[in-house]
Amino acid sequence: MIRKLALYALLLIGQSTAEAAVRNFTLHIDNGTLNITGTGGTSLNVWGYGANQGLPTIPAPKLVVNEGDTVTITVYNHRSASHNFVIKNVTTDVAAIASGGSKVYSFTAPTAGSYLYSDTLNNNINREMGLYGAFIVRPADNSNTAWTGGPSYNNENVWVVSEMDKPRWNDVASTGGTVATATYKPNYFIINGQGGFDAMMNMSTMVMGTLNQKSLVRIVNTGQFSHSLHFHGNHFQVLTINGVRQPTPFEQWDTINVPPMSTAEVLYTINQYGHYPMHVHTAQAEGANGVYLNGAATMIDMQ
Amino acid sequence: MKKLTQAVLLATLSLGAAHVHAATISKTFCVSSLSKTLSGTSVPFWGFSDCGSGGGMGGMGGMGGMGGTATVPGPVVEVGVGDTLNLSLSVNMMTPQEASPYNGHTIHLHGADVQTSEDGVPETNGNMVNGDTYTWSPLAGHEGSHMYHCHVHTVKHLEMGMYSTIIVRPKNASGAFINQLNSNVATAYAYSQNYILSTVDPAYHTAVGDSTVFADYNPVYFLIAGKEGKTTAAPAMTLAAAKNAKVAFRLIGLHSTNSTFEIKNSSGVAQSFTVYIRDGRALPVAKTVTSLDISPGQRADLIATTPATAGTWYPQVTYKKLRANADGTYPVYTNGVVYGKVTF
Repeated sequence: MIRKLALYALLLIGQSTAEAAVRNFTLHIDNGTLNITGTGGTSLNVWGYGANQGLPTIPAPKLVVNEGDTVTITVYNHRSASHNFVIKNVTTDVAAIASGGSKVYSFTAPTAGSYLYSDTLNNNINREMGLYGAFIVRPADNSNTAWTGGPSYNNENVWVVSEMDKPRWNDVASTGGTVATATYKPNYFIINGQGGFDAMMNMSTMVMGTLNQKSLVRIVNTGQFSHSLHFHGNHFQVLTINGVRQPTPFEQWDTINVPPMSTAEVLYTINQYGHYPMHVHTAQAEGANGVYLNGAATMIDMQ
Repeated sequence: MKKLTQAVLLATLSLGAAHVHAATISKTFCVSSLSKTLSGTSVPFWGFSDCGSGGGMGGMGGMGGMGGTATVPGPVVEVGVGDTLNLSLSVNMMTPQEASPYNGHTIHLHGADVQTSEDGVPETNGNMVNGDTYTWSPLAGHEGSHMYHCHVHTVKHLEMGMYSTIIVRPKNASGAFINQLNSNVATAYAYSQNYILSTVDPAYHTAVGDSTVFADYNPVYFLIAGKEGKTTAAPAMTLAAAKNAKVAFRLIGLHSTNSTFEIKNSSGVAQSFTVYIRDGRALPVAKTVTSLDISPGQRADLIATTPATAGTWYPQVTYKKLRANADGTYPVYTNGVVYGKVTF
């Protein structure tokens, strides 16, 4: 009898929150390497979160949930130093995960939008070394809208934009040295962990679509520099800035500045045919250690 | 000569009759070297010059020569809504250049959203870097400030000074420019100034090719419209305006740092101004503010009204580093504040 009642209760709960689900993720913190391919490229020593032990990725796995989901994220620290895991504006536990330890973060997925997570310890060094990623919350009904009742889209991109200072930060921190954090002269600028030569051919980074399709571009700056992203081909609508939904009708820009540790969401409409670059408009951010276009750049492919 | 003038006049009139208000504006640009003395130091630049109205002149356009001296920023181009702009780069006047693969030059119409063939990006236009004509017909709704700049090895060529602005202006019933930012009568102004923002790292001006110099940007000169203005006593821009008059400022971000625009009075109090257009698109709701950040590639068109009593304003651009302080503010570069001056 009790069992039956419990079953009914579960069914009722299931009905009242039709789309809410339980989402479990596991992340492992490890040492790794990031290869920037092509001219000017290099192999960077990094620390990252990965879906599998021993295989950290830059950026960390994209975690995608629906608004209202019950989210549980277990983070294992396999490195010799303390780390943490904080989703900005979502989780509040900034306490360290001790070397060899783990922590579980449980919460209800917040309002739809683009969020970023990172390791906030060690004076930005842990983040610079690669411990960052995007946390995406879709509407409760999982529809292709920026939020419930918000603008709809056909395609979606997540751009984790960042940069690394190989000689002064990565080379030093990875060998146990003390990074002089007052100086930061990043020489690699990346979108989704890739220089431009790769990102301009990576179909998950490229904005692609056919006439009149719309792409929601979720921009997450996990670096320490402001990044001013210029889209060729068409203007975009500015939907959110750092989680703040903008009033309608939306403003139309062709260049958006995304400060460090902030996010922006823009809606780009395919309005003609052609191939166009999207790149950061700041001088050195366009290159990999000075090699032009192997920096923070990708392509817009209007088919 | 007189006959020729009359013929041109007649041709212009007949064009006017045929197309009502739409004009075709054809310009041929040349590229050449120049140097600028910044804080007492000579720095090499490359700049555009208007070296002849190529429209209808066929092969003549490229001969230029008499076309004048390159400047930084380059010539300001004004085009009306519905006009057609043909900007040609003269194949005969494109020195200096870098070695391959960064040889040649282009004109990218930044913000114009033109076809790929007109976009001036060698990587997408079949490497057309040895002279071309870039065409744009801005429509109603595109009023405001845009940019043009070379898009070959942009990290080098833009920094070298190959940039300026294209202003799209509204026209009246007889096809003449009107002094409004766009068709909104609230944007009427009595005066207008182009604040073209740029920054200079002299190391970028001597490095070539894929140099590691281009991995680290250390600007030491900060400009408005190509000029230093390190003190209110030696401003980069000046304007003598009437009292109680509307002054339009067009901010054009060709710099490579963060920046903030403000208008301060002689007591240092930031004055409010109203932003009507950003990136060549009217804001759905105009914004009245006392400061505005302009990042590399952005533009804004705004209006401020001078007070009813005589005085002085110091419009100013504060150039800031890309990396934030711990508190989220941005460090200002040494000599990073550049002043303009408006008397009324």
